[in-house]
Amino acid sequence: MMVAEQLIDEGVIEACQQGDRAAFQLLFETYKDKVFSIAVYSSGGDRAVADDVTQQIFLKLFTAIRQFRGDSEFTTWLYRLVVNACLDERRRRRRLLPWGETVAMRNPGDKKPQEKQYARLEVQEAVQAAIGELKPKFRLPILLKYIEGLSYDEIASVMGCSKGTVASRLNRGHSQLAKRLSHLNNPAVWGD
Amino acid sequence: MFFGHVTKDISAYCHGELSSEDSKQFAEHIISCARCRSKFEEVKLGIKLAEQLPQLSAPDHLWRDLEPLLAKQTSSVRSGSGFWTWRVQLAAAAAVLLIAGVGGLWLYNNSRTPAIGTAKSAWQVKRLDGTPRIGSEGISNNGELGVGEWLETDGRSRAQIAVSSIGNVEIDENTRVRLLETHATEHRLELARGKMSARIWAPPRLFFVDTPSAVAADLGCAYTLEVDDHGASLLHVTSGWVALELKDRESMVPAGAACETRPGIGPGTPYFEDSPAAFREALKKIDFDNDSTGLSLLLDQARPRDTLTLWHLLARVNGADRVRVYDKMAAFVPPPPGVTREGVLQLDQQMLETWRHALESTWMGGGGSKVPKPIADAYFKVKNGLSRRLKEMAPK
Repeated sequence: MMVAEQLIDEGVIEACQQGDRAAFQLLFETYKDKVFSIAVYSSGGDRAVADDVTQQIFLKLFTAIRQFRGDSEFTTWLYRLVVNACLDERRRRRRLLPWGETVAMRNPGDKKPQEKQYARLEVQEAVQAAIGELKPKFRLPILLKYIEGLSYDEIASVMGCSKGTVASRLNRGHSQLAKRLSHLNNPAVWGD
Repeated sequence: MFFGHVTKDISAYCHGELSSEDSKQFAEHIISCARCRSKFEEVKLGIKLAEQLPQLSAPDHLWRDLEPLLAKQTSSVRSGSGFWTWRVQLAAAAAVLLIAGVGGLWLYNNSRTPAIGTAKSAWQVKRLDGTPRIGSEGISNNGELGVGEWLETDGRSRAQIAVSSIGNVEIDENTRVRLLETHATEHRLELARGKMSARIWAPPRLFFVDTPSAVAADLGCAYTLEVDDHGASLLHVTSGWVALELKDRESMVPAGAACETRPGIGPGTPYFEDSPAAFREALKKIDFDNDSTGLSLLLDQARPRDTLTLWHLLARVNGADRVRVYDKMAAFVPPPPGVTREGVLQLDQQMLETWRHALESTWMGGGGSKVPKPIADAYFKVKNGLSRRLKEMAPK
């Protein structure tokens, strides 16, 4: 857990439930990067869409937080909201766009960096693109694991499935990433 | 839990989500199962790739855009009390400052080591004797060794480190170690001085120890490693296999064998610990003094299982000396079909590997080494991969 997240205690959440804007700004500042990251990766790298989704998530959170009863961890509850919003947005966009016509992230294979120090950046971009191509059921557990740092139990709670399902989906997600990016299995790329 | 293949548990294993007992069973299975090991490498690559995913920064305008929308909704929500308002305003101000600082630090760290969890991971340390120190702090019973931190023992203290969920390392007196890296696909310790004993139950190449003169790569094993004040090291393997590497020089050391290393040279040639003293002395001169005058004595004293040493020596001696080593090996275990004298003398990798396969039973049949064949197979598959990677990395 990041240091800033430790500031979000029951008192802050209670203040948010009472409509306190300062408390809500604290919540926003604490989670905005993580929520935005998931939104970007879930929208195939389209930052404009991610802006909208992030805004909608926090807008919804502002009212929905009154329904938070503390039955689960606040982060679990929040990420459930985020995951549902990303899935809704994806469904909405699939109705608007022909199949496969999502906004693709830049393909790192298109550019040929000359400097070795760009190799890692190249890997990051390739991974982002490959993540965007995974099915949501494989992509979201990966984002919750690597962006949010959640445990398997926490991911299971957010996704509403069993821990075994999380393990299985992460396994398949990792395999698909490895297959799509097998050309990166080269020590020169990693600077080892 | 494990009745067959373990491919479905690979991610859980790498993320430390299996129980200790299940982790051990997983590692034991994967070392002996080629199919699962192949899948393990694939998933490990996937994890390594996923670890590169950066957390992005939300644009600054988001809050500005959001505020007016919130204002519309606020009218329908009861305003916060004065107490909460000033309290959370203070907290919000502090948080913004804190997030800016933490965010900056995160971005700095992330640009250097993108692997998530690397920087915040720590290993548990248990005091065994005296007062070991982590950094400048002495530990009374238990402590945590973070990435980049040194653990040091004096003449009267010892400690035990839990290596994530894959094993443990005992740190002897007068030893200095540092945790360099720990994440799902790699755990790395630096042994600057002193002695450590490692017991690892993990698939090959998850645990590494950097010394001043070589890197010890665990292949599922138990061993002790000592580093003296000059940076030279001595490895004793008690179970499984360990690879010692430095640049293009590598030695594979099975249970019952040992290997020395020297700064600037790297790993010497492995030898079985029950080999004659004169044999070992002659080998040391060949390895570190570039003096092959003792080769005749070494060959005279060699036993069939010392083909472990001779097989490594083939690539480390030249000309007539290589011919003599070949002849001695061929007298013990004739090269199998497809392996020619000319090919071996020209260090044909395929032929060397084929002959090595034929030699394995000789290395493992002796009194000291009881390494199961599946583990040896796993080890040599790793070795082949390592050789390929070293070739790929070599300057053209």
